[in-house]
Amino acid sequence: MGRQSYRLSDIDFEANAKEGVAIDWPIRYKDVAPWYSYVEKFVGISGEKLNLPQLPDSEFLPPMEMYCVEKEVRKRIEKNFPGRVMTIGRVANLSKAGEAQLGVGRAPCQYRNKCSLGCPYGAYFSTQSCTLPPAAKTGRLTLRPDSVVTEILYDENKKRATGVRIVDAVTLQPKEYFAKIVFVCGSALGSTAILLNSKSNRFPNGFGNDSGELGHNLMDHHFRTGASGVWEGDLDKYYIGRRANGIYVPRYRNIGTDKRDYLRGFGYQGGGSRTGWQRNIAEMSFGADYKDELTKPGPWTMGLGGFGETLPYHENRMYLDKNEKDKWGMPLVVFDAELKENEKKMRIDMMNDAKEMLEASGLKNVRSYDNGSYLGMAIHEMGTARMGRDPKTSVLNANNQVHGVKNVFVTDGACMVSTSCVNPSLTYMALTARAADFAVKEMKRQNI
Amino acid sequence: MKRREALQQAALMMGGILSAPTLAGAMGRITNTGPSIAVSADQESLLAEVADVIIPTTSTPGAKAAGAEKFIVRVMRDCYPKADQEKFYAGLAKLDADSKTKFGKEFVALDPAQKNEMVKQTMTEDKPFFLRMKELTTTGYFTSEIGATKALEYLPVPGQFNGCMPLKPGQKTWAL
Repeated sequence: MGRQSYRLSDIDFEANAKEGVAIDWPIRYKDVAPWYSYVEKFVGISGEKLNLPQLPDSEFLPPMEMYCVEKEVRKRIEKNFPGRVMTIGRVANLSKAGEAQLGVGRAPCQYRNKCSLGCPYGAYFSTQSCTLPPAAKTGRLTLRPDSVVTEILYDENKKRATGVRIVDAVTLQPKEYFAKIVFVCGSALGSTAILLNSKSNRFPNGFGNDSGELGHNLMDHHFRTGASGVWEGDLDKYYIGRRANGIYVPRYRNIGTDKRDYLRGFGYQGGGSRTGWQRNIAEMSFGADYKDELTKPGPWTMGLGGFGETLPYHENRMYLDKNEKDKWGMPLVVFDAELKENEKKMRIDMMNDAKEMLEASGLKNVRSYDNGSYLGMAIHEMGTARMGRDPKTSVLNANNQVHGVKNVFVTDGACMVSTSCVNPSLTYMALTARAADFAVKEMKRQNI
Repeated sequence: MKRREALQQAALMMGGILSAPTLAGAMGRITNTGPSIAVSADQESLLAEVADVIIPTTSTPGAKAAGAEKFIVRVMRDCYPKADQEKFYAGLAKLDADSKTKFGKEFVALDPAQKNEMVKQTMTEDKPFFLRMKELTTTGYFTSEIGATKALEYLPVPGQFNGCMPLKPGQKTWAL
């Protein structure tokens, strides 16, 4: 999980239906809201309450502080652009460890900004720090690493999945595992690749693929456009600690009375920073003065980078190569997908709005950029096994259950019907918890 | 955090000022999978001397004491293609040859004022070599133990975050 954690809202869940895009989500915010809460209390999300309709609040741990420059820019954005707000990033780092977190051996964030190495304090949410320890405590957990799942096994008579076939990544030997119930949660593209590779008489085109939508409607966020500038003030201000988090500007385009020549919108991630020893590298200087100058903090800078929603397009897809396989015998995945007009129009706003807000906030030498984006770059892959009410147009039902195969659930990004513009992992976790709860209830009712 | 995000964040932290190969080198990565040229002990000593002019010993130890030349040799080898390596070491050889022409001595044998003059001359006559040498020296120095802990303020486990506080007199740049 990328740590930035935001809830979807009904503006997201209703957009496809209202605009006649793709198909409607089979669920609404109220269906997921309690599961967001359930997950957040366990994971620990730090952030600030805003009461915004487009970005519902989470169950928050205390928010991290802003730099002085961010505090000032926030005030000026809110003054100059009514309807726009800037808040601290909502992030899966423990600004404070509650009982739920201490109970699994996690400690609060030490502000080292070394999350990318894996946190020895368990201070940010990860499978290793947060979910595996309590799972191991049940005594019923078997971890089977080095297993490459190649297909889901299907029993034609019982009309249900019986388990999975794997290839051992080390010995390359196949092996089968059997289960009453199968949860597929191997990341959007990984899960769909397994489904596409699971062929039977009943499902000749991939597991649960009666609709023909499996592999289609591939989505990702688009980003890498925005602006940054130099802040001439606050030279007498500094900070202590390395905040593994930035600021967030929630979506404001096409909200309320705002109407653009494209659908949906974008949010900004970014932040201020005080330049350090890297700042005069390209200048014609060297020696004692150069060295001494770099040991003192430089000017502050601030940047905003957009993360935009991408619409679901049937023709944006992934499929399995007919000939080429990897060393574990899995067909290679092929992608055929592109950003289209709606995203291209949105990117103009993403770039220009950032420049406009920074300039209006008093930053100098503001430079905007569009470094280009393609699907897959933001690594927020979504879609390819979407949820829906109608088995003819979707792969999963409102409980993430494969249409027609009651004991198989897909609960990662593959299930998404649209992308919203917010980081999606929190939603996958909420939907997974919700689906697991549903599955247990259905097992008890002997429906599965 | 995913690897790509980590890299982006690191690039952001570095202010996007460092060149991509040097940034990769500072993160310990190997991006040049092709051939490399062999670097002699004499070349390495020469690098150390030039680096020590760019970042000299002041109230804190300089680039040579920090072993910046080892960083330079490694990053040129691991992160720059062979063509760039050849250009870089040709620039270094030229500096040495120019020292002999001007002062009749190898660069390492010059006195501090002469060394300074030669680096100044290189700055105008071979800007690409100078800037690469300066970038590698600066990055190697400030990410070394001496640079990070003596020239800068090093706090590996802050344990707290305060984003908006007065700058203390004499406060040094955070190393991390």
